[in-house]
Amino acid sequence: MKTEDQAWRALQAHASAQLSADFAGRVLRAAQGPSLASWRQLQAHAAARLRPGFAERVLRAARQIPGVPSLLDQLAFSAAAAAVCVLAVVFVHARNVRLEDERNLASWQQIAQQVEDLDNAR
Amino acid sequence: MESTSTTALADLVRRAQRGDEAAQRELIVSYQHRVAGFVYAMTGRSDYVEDLAQQVFIKMIRALDRLQAPAQFESWLFRLARNTCIDQLRRQKLRRIFQPFGEEHENIPEPAGAVDTEELDALRHALAQLRPQDRALLALVQEGRSHAEIAEILSTSVAAVKARLHRAREHLREHYQPPHEN
Repeated sequence: MKTEDQAWRALQAHASAQLSADFAGRVLRAAQGPSLASWRQLQAHAAARLRPGFAERVLRAARQIPGVPSLLDQLAFSAAAAAVCVLAVVFVHARNVRLEDERNLASWQQIAQQVEDLDNAR
Repeated sequence: MESTSTTALADLVRRAQRGDEAAQRELIVSYQHRVAGFVYAMTGRSDYVEDLAQQVFIKMIRALDRLQAPAQFESWLFRLARNTCIDQLRRQKLRRIFQPFGEEHENIPEPAGAVDTEELDALRHALAQLRPQDRALLALVQEGRSHAEIAEILSTSVAAVKARLHRAREHLREHYQPPHEN
C-alpha cells in the first residue's frame, strides 16, 4: 500500500514538474484574455519605434510630396482627356472626309472634262 | 473636464485646419504614440510602425481641411489609420501573389521573444491569428472609441459592431497563449 502511495506521489511530482513556473498566471491570462497592461505594453513598444523628431519629419514630408489629387480632380482630368480625344477623332474624321470629297470631285471634274472633249471632237 | 478637453481639441484642430504649423505639430505629437500602437496592433511589424504612422499623419495634414466636424477628429484620425493599414496589408498580399519569391523577408513575422515581455509576445501572437478587420476592431476599442464611433469608422451598425467585437474577443482569448505553449 505504501509503495502504491509512493508511486502516485512520484507520478504527481513528475506531472507537476512539467508545469511551467507561472502556470496559474498563464491559465488566468489565457482565460481572461489580454489585460489592459498588455495593450499598454504593445503601445509603448510601438511608440518606442518612432525615432526622435517624428513630427518634424512628417511636416517636412507633407510639404514636399505632391498631394494626391482628389476624386473630383481625377474625374475632371479624365473628362477633359476624353473630350480632347473625341475632338481629335472628330477633327481627323472630318479632315479625311473633306480630302476624300475633294479627290472625288477632282475625279468627276476630270471625267466631265473628258466627256465634254469627246462631245466636242464629234 | 471631458468637455473642456474636447473643446480644446476642437480649437486645436481648427487652428491646424487654417494651416497653423504649430497646431499641426501639436496634433502629431499628441497622437503619434497612439497611432503607432494602432499600426503595430494591425500589422504586427515593428519595422512598419514609423513608415505607416508617417503616412497616416501626412494624410491627416492633407485632408484636415475636409474634416467638417473638428470634435470628431479622433474617430476620423483612426479611420485614416485603419484604412492606411488595411491598404498596406492588401498591397503586401498582392505582392505575395505576384512575387512569391521576391522580398521574402517581408512576410516573416517577428519571432517570439523579439519584443519585450511574454504578455506582449502572447498578445502579438494572438492578434496575428485574427483577420485585419477584427484586429482593427479590438485596437479601436483599446483606443477608447465607443461602439457608435466604431460603427461610424467601419461604416456599419452598432449591433454589427457588438456582434463582431464579441467574436473577435473570443478569437483573441482562444489564441492568447504564450507562443512556446502552443
